[in-house]
Amino acid sequence: MILGMAFLSALGKMKNKDILITLNNWQDKEELEKLGIKHFVYPLKGFCVGMPNTFLLEEIPKDGYIFINRILDNKGIDDLKKLIKGVTQKGLIFDDLGVLQIVKNLKMEKILYLSHFNTNSESIKLYLEYVDSVIVATDITENEIKEIVTLLPHKLTLFILGYVGSMYSRRLLIDNYCQFHKIKKENPLYISKDDKGFILYENEYGTMFYHNKIFNGLQLLDLDAKYYFINAPFLNAHDIKDLIDETSKLPQDKGFLETETIYKLKGEAND
Amino acid sequence: MTELLAPAGDLERLKIALLYGADAVYLGGKDYSLRANAKNFSLEEMAEACRFAHQLHKKIYVTVNIVFHNKNLDGLADYLQDLKNIGVDAVIVSDIIGVKLAIQKGLEVILSTQASLLNYEAINFWKNLGVKRFVLGREATRDDIIRIKKETNVELECFIHGAMCTSISGKCVLSNYCTNRDANRGGCAQICRWVFKTDGPDFTFMSKDLNMVTYLEDMINIGVDSFKVEGRMRSIYYIATVIKCYRKIIDKIKAKSLTIQDQKYYELILNRVANRDTMPQFYHKFPGVNESYFQDRVEVSNQDFLGIVLDYDEKKQEIILEQRNYFKKGDIVEFIGPNIDNITYTINTILNEDNEEIDVARHPQMIVKLPFKKRLDKYSMMRVKIFDKNDVL
Repeated sequence: MILGMAFLSALGKMKNKDILITLNNWQDKEELEKLGIKHFVYPLKGFCVGMPNTFLLEEIPKDGYIFINRILDNKGIDDLKKLIKGVTQKGLIFDDLGVLQIVKNLKMEKILYLSHFNTNSESIKLYLEYVDSVIVATDITENEIKEIVTLLPHKLTLFILGYVGSMYSRRLLIDNYCQFHKIKKENPLYISKDDKGFILYENEYGTMFYHNKIFNGLQLLDLDAKYYFINAPFLNAHDIKDLIDETSKLPQDKGFLETETIYKLKGEAND
Repeated sequence: MTELLAPAGDLERLKIALLYGADAVYLGGKDYSLRANAKNFSLEEMAEACRFAHQLHKKIYVTVNIVFHNKNLDGLADYLQDLKNIGVDAVIVSDIIGVKLAIQKGLEVILSTQASLLNYEAINFWKNLGVKRFVLGREATRDDIIRIKKETNVELECFIHGAMCTSISGKCVLSNYCTNRDANRGGCAQICRWVFKTDGPDFTFMSKDLNMVTYLEDMINIGVDSFKVEGRMRSIYYIATVIKCYRKIIDKIKAKSLTIQDQKYYELILNRVANRDTMPQFYHKFPGVNESYFQDRVEVSNQDFLGIVLDYDEKKQEIILEQRNYFKKGDIVEFIGPNIDNITYTINTILNEDNEEIDVARHPQMIVKLPFKKRLDKYSMMRVKIFDKNDVL
């Protein structure tokens, strides 16, 4: 059986898994359901950055997951407290730990997505005392992810596909750039240096940089996680299908799954 | 509490920071610190740092603020125990496992700015775990700080001077993508200083530096406890100058004697020592076009630092000075030091190590002697005479 799984296509594997995907519009939902995706994540209007399409709380279905990826100031926290009182949705994916304080007593599934934290099993274990699942950061290798999953089976959410936020600024960087140069605002804005590129998307709460290559970690479907997460801003249902079918021409990479980052340089003071 | 908190990349910088007026210093060990490529401190050096600081009734905080991968956890508990044993006053941590282990070891924990703290509920989460002090995100506004203090009554530490991340701290891995250096484990390659191409003009997004001189008194009044200067990789001259300025300002605020003239004078000095423009950022208004650079720019390194005093020969009434930048006979210079007001001095005589008179000190780190009637302490510094306070207004 395990051997058989290895030969299944990503699409085949996905049919047996709980996939969470951020939704851009209602038209895509039906198409995505045909791929076997059952859990939809709705960026909440006023509480997200880097998401071109957002939803009002009342628009989000009861079986949906609310997505809050903003780092909130006090006003944001106060606004959320008022908004979320009678919430009936199934779950919530969030970054700011202040949100956890607000929702800890609500009967909904809580998934913590601390973007670049949650890179080790001990920290994840501690956070799991407060939430139902934790999204493992994309900044670590496949072997590191495997080690964490082995220690915490069935509990984690693995980021398997989509655009990875690589920087989040509170500043309105596109707006300022366009103002300075007196040019028409482009949002999203594409920037590059040599072979490196990023997609910037801005709203009133800040600017999100996404690595321009779509993270393709579909191989992580082989690991034993609770959920598998697809972050799909700028991607429609066809893009997703093609990415899963491996027919997509969109630029992709495997992030750091196969390339470990370094942090001490040889020959410098610390060696 | 009004604590002036200075950075230190090594023991020399640490001593200078404390002697020039810092109440506490934060530093990194060889591992687990977000400035992996600074010289940083061995355990023995940290122990010496504690001895030196505690003698002066000052404090040492150690950064243990990387985001840990599994393999980085090996030895972490022992390391924290070592820090406890050598008597560090607190550790600065961002990752929850670091927080938990540090508290288990009986260490005071300061939550790092890497934890992206901008609201009182996030602080309540960490407060419930036993964290005592919080470094707020640099994006925190005046209103945010007031509300957080009111709702949580915790100790607050805020940056007042130095470089800004363009990103919310802890939310950037551009370095990982562009150079494979892990920003959240101390390898940040400062990609926000790069120039990127677009279909239009080049795109840059470098923030100007922070300078809170104008709002320091207000920050004290609204309940900020610790005033933090950025820059563990900065020079000794930078550390001495910045810390001395802020020490003077804080003391004058406390004595209710800070004048606009003082403020302008210190701002001029602080701007001069920086290699980028400095200004307030999020505190009083949302930063816009003026708070960032939108074109490539050349950073000019400051050449004002002329030498550091190594010793004073009482008998000959001579300063023994190590040269740091070119100077010559006839130059009008200024001495700054831990326990002195600035002293203006005209260089009439320069002697080399063999007591021969020379006209110019041109070689880096050459030792020279200058006649000087008054004793100057070790670590006093000679710089270009920049501004006269009386000329400021």
